Amino acid sequence: MRRARQRLITFSVDHPAWVIGVATLISLAFAFQFPQIVIDTDPKHMLPVTSPVRQYNDQVERDFGLHADVIVLGIVNPHGIANPTTLARIVDLTGRIQHLPGVIARDVTSLSTIDDITSVDGDLAVHAALADVPNDEWGCRVLREEWLSNPLFIGRIISGDGVATAIYIPIEPGANGRQIADGIRQLLPSDRAGDQFHLAGDPVARDTFGTEMFQQMGLFSPIAGLVICLMLWFLFRNVALVIANMAVAMISIVWSMGLLIGLGIPVHIMASMSPVFLMAIATDSVHIFNEFAFRFGETGNQRQAIFDTMSAVSRPIAVSDLATAVGFASLATAPIIPVKIFGLVVAFGTLVILLLSFTLVPAILILLRPEHIPVIRQTREETRSLLARLGGVCIRRARTIAIVGGVVLAVAAFGITRIRVNNNMIHWFKPGSAVRTADRVMNEHLGGTSTGYLVVGASADDAMKDPVLLRGIEGLQRELEHDPRVGKTFSVVDYVRRINYVLHGDDPAFDRIPDSADAVGQYLFLFSMSAKPSDLENVVDYPYRTANIFLQLKSWDADVMRAVIARTNAYLSTHPLPNGAVVRPAGIAHFNMIWSDEVLWGMLESFLAGLVLVLILLVAETRSFLWGTLIFLPLLFTIALLYGVVGLIGKDFDMPVAVLSTLSLGLATDFAIHFVARFRARYREDPDLGRALVWTVARPGRGIFLNALLFAAGFAVMVFADLTPYITVGVFMVAIMLLSALLSVVFLPGLIHLFRRTLLKGEVNA
Amino acid sequence: MLRELSPFNRRPCVLVWSIVAAVMILRCPTALSQTAALGLMNQSHLAYYYAGDGGHARVNMILSDGRGRTQTREFWIARRDIADMGDQNYYTYFLKPADVARTALVIHKKAQANDDRWLYVPALDLVKRIAADDRRASFVGSDFTYEDISGRLPSLDKHEAIGPDSALGRAATKVKSTPVNPKTADYAWRVTWVDVDSKLPLREEYYDARGTLQRRFEITKIETIEGIPTATERTMTNLQSGHSTTIRFTDVTYKPDLKAEDFNERLLKNPPAAFTR
Repeated sequence: MRRARQRLITFSVDHPAWVIGVATLISLAFAFQFPQIVIDTDPKHMLPVTSPVRQYNDQVERDFGLHADVIVLGIVNPHGIANPTTLARIVDLTGRIQHLPGVIARDVTSLSTIDDITSVDGDLAVHAALADVPNDEWGCRVLREEWLSNPLFIGRIISGDGVATAIYIPIEPGANGRQIADGIRQLLPSDRAGDQFHLAGDPVARDTFGTEMFQQMGLFSPIAGLVICLMLWFLFRNVALVIANMAVAMISIVWSMGLLIGLGIPVHIMASMSPVFLMAIATDSVHIFNEFAFRFGETGNQRQAIFDTMSAVSRPIAVSDLATAVGFASLATAPIIPVKIFGLVVAFGTLVILLLSFTLVPAILILLRPEHIPVIRQTREETRSLLARLGGVCIRRARTIAIVGGVVLAVAAFGITRIRVNNNMIHWFKPGSAVRTADRVMNEHLGGTSTGYLVVGASADDAMKDPVLLRGIEGLQRELEHDPRVGKTFSVVDYVRRINYVLHGDDPAFDRIPDSADAVGQYLFLFSMSAKPSDLENVVDYPYRTANIFLQLKSWDADVMRAVIARTNAYLSTHPLPNGAVVRPAGIAHFNMIWSDEVLWGMLESFLAGLVLVLILLVAETRSFLWGTLIFLPLLFTIALLYGVVGLIGKDFDMPVAVLSTLSLGLATDFAIHFVARFRARYREDPDLGRALVWTVARPGRGIFLNALLFAAGFAVMVFADLTPYITVGVFMVAIMLLSALLSVVFLPGLIHLFRRTLLKGEVNA
Repeated sequence: MLRELSPFNRRPCVLVWSIVAAVMILRCPTALSQTAALGLMNQSHLAYYYAGDGGHARVNMILSDGRGRTQTREFWIARRDIADMGDQNYYTYFLKPADVARTALVIHKKAQANDDRWLYVPALDLVKRIAADDRRASFVGSDFTYEDISGRLPSLDKHEAIGPDSALGRAATKVKSTPVNPKTADYAWRVTWVDVDSKLPLREEYYDARGTLQRRFEITKIETIEGIPTATERTMTNLQSGHSTTIRFTDVTYKPDLKAEDFNERLLKNPPAAFTR
């Protein structure tokens, strides 16, 4: 291993042009794969088609003729939507939307397509709620009163105060919600005349997120790269070094993404984040430049300085890159395919970085013109620098530092216990964004933009005509509506009640379920004779064996659906449905809940597996349980602090945070590995503990801090992103870098000093 | 049920249309195919919706959701024509499913106005008038609309013969029909395969504005009953939802034992003796 490394480095120093040429050629070959890129923007594809929740959901949708993806166009007019202009717009927009490609025209639901069941002069009337637009205020008022008197409409198609309405636009499976939303936006009138239009619904949020995620990745990763370049230039004042650093990052990105694309695997949102991660990991080469600058200053011999540098840092670099690769590869144990792919892509990229560190980097270093090589004079640096003084303090105050560390860890542990696992895709957008505003406004006025279903399954045909069962369902609906986040529920019960009421000439005494199953059967039959077949199909199946309760939820929090399920179970335990009828949740809200649970816990499990693997690797590499654990500590500390803070400030532990946990695997061990490796090498040369520690803090410590600062600066720009997960990425990157650098340089010397007897036993002879 | 113009009492009508067509052709050569097509569609309309002067039949209707689940309805249906291409009365008396047995529906179809519909709800022993302003609503929850059952006047569409073809193994003329006023129809255009012999619409395809095929109607069995070619088996398929409805006619007669009063809504709760035997 060591000899192979040595041979590689020697070859690269002897034939730099060859190395650079071959690297360029291979990069070109991978770059040629890029045009075949297939992008998958649907975060839900994290669950395979075969997962039980997807299959059950698909079955429920087929059974009830429902659509998985529904866009909601909200129209709000503070003076009430029942005016000739707005109503004409509703009719016109509905018609135009039905013509958009990808829209399931027959099931577009708006005031102009929804069936209203009313009693007109004693006749039963079933007709579109808005058939003809009245041309005067009076006609509009009549219509408004009629709509508001139909409980089926309130909260669904019109708000209780009459200022908002919605058009529900189901789209075909696979259609892009964002593109259709853009198509709808073009249909909106330029002269709003008091009307506000809002586009909401899962497909809009999901596909907007998917698209913007790619766009922001394309925008912010180059900016981050640029900031890192600028910082590098200020530190080393050498263009070649800057290029070398960026070349390592770019080549690893091109190779790993090229491989992914070349294999024909769609680039999912997860994998699209790999370039950022690789850029982060590639900054490892700063250690080489830092040491090289010292060594060249010492000897003035460029070739010898390269060999000396590489023999000093190649081992920690190899170990830290391997640890990173192992950490990411451990994600392949996750049950979620995009996570597996992401882990393997980053692991591959990390190995590429490792290879380049021993080939491309020395090749570039030998090509540098000596007069341009930055030089750091060591005498001053090592004895009187700020870092050297910091090293001294760390050793003297070792006990205090350890106690502070213990206290901080305890607080962090408390924070971790308060972590709330939740996921809400709408919160991935900033509060002022169009998506989030639309969602908020719609939820203020109507029943809710998030939809869930409760499927009531009986064991016999015609069970749903049994008045006892219908009353049980009605009781459950009323119970669920006690939760303020459940804005509206609606089921076949509501149709039966409505028909009973209307058939009895709007007599409130009959606003209830009739007493005989025959009556229910005839009402539903009557309804099927007059309304659209889909009206009935959506709430009850053909043999009247299963019924579907629609839930409109006012929040996309996975918690809301969890609460609905808990409330349902609690209610049914005291009010069981007759004849063993059972209730099962479904729908997009339920899907989101399961999806986020599975992805979150899947990530968490493989993350823990990654941690264990890294620890094993460290122990094996140092051939010492103590040293391995010591190196592992800063990683553990960093993670504990990050999640402690997440718990303490009450931020949801959601999907982006879960994904970012894996970042720490790749980044937080590096510094400790470098620190300990360099310290042990130094201590073997000069077995004076104090001097060796101060030297390590001052010299490799400088590389560590440079690396951390560079990186933190680069990713700090992400806090300006439009999507909150990116802001989280930025904050996490900065925090991981600074924390792990600080922990490595401040805690490790203290701990080594405290445990010197056990740790350093036999160290000199080793 | 109720089809084919008997050659005797329809002849004057055909004659009139032929003269109209001839005049149109002479006056406006470019209107040739359109006028002839309208004539053909009128014949087809009479053959399919106004056969005999009325009649009745027992109907077995199977609704299928395209995923193996079905619902069956059984009912008697009777028709009485008041004028050819004009008003008609329909009477439907349900036998199955059991919980809707004795439910009855009467429709007074008006050529120039909204239909009148009354329903008898046995559970309430109540006759209720149903305000019906939409003939495009589903007929008893099936894939057929009221309009499919009682007919849409050919004059509401522009017709164009688009060539000979065949359907159900018979020679047919294909006619493309486009609504004059798009708001009166659910389809942007439809294509009808008109049987050259019987003039029955052997097949119809309904397209939406995007050019997507929405629904397909097919006659799958024609029997000659009392000298009148009668489509005794037909299916309407909704290609968008995958649903389909098949109806089969038995006990068809064009010489019904029915009186005008049998179509009176006030007698809806007392079905004609012919249907309760």
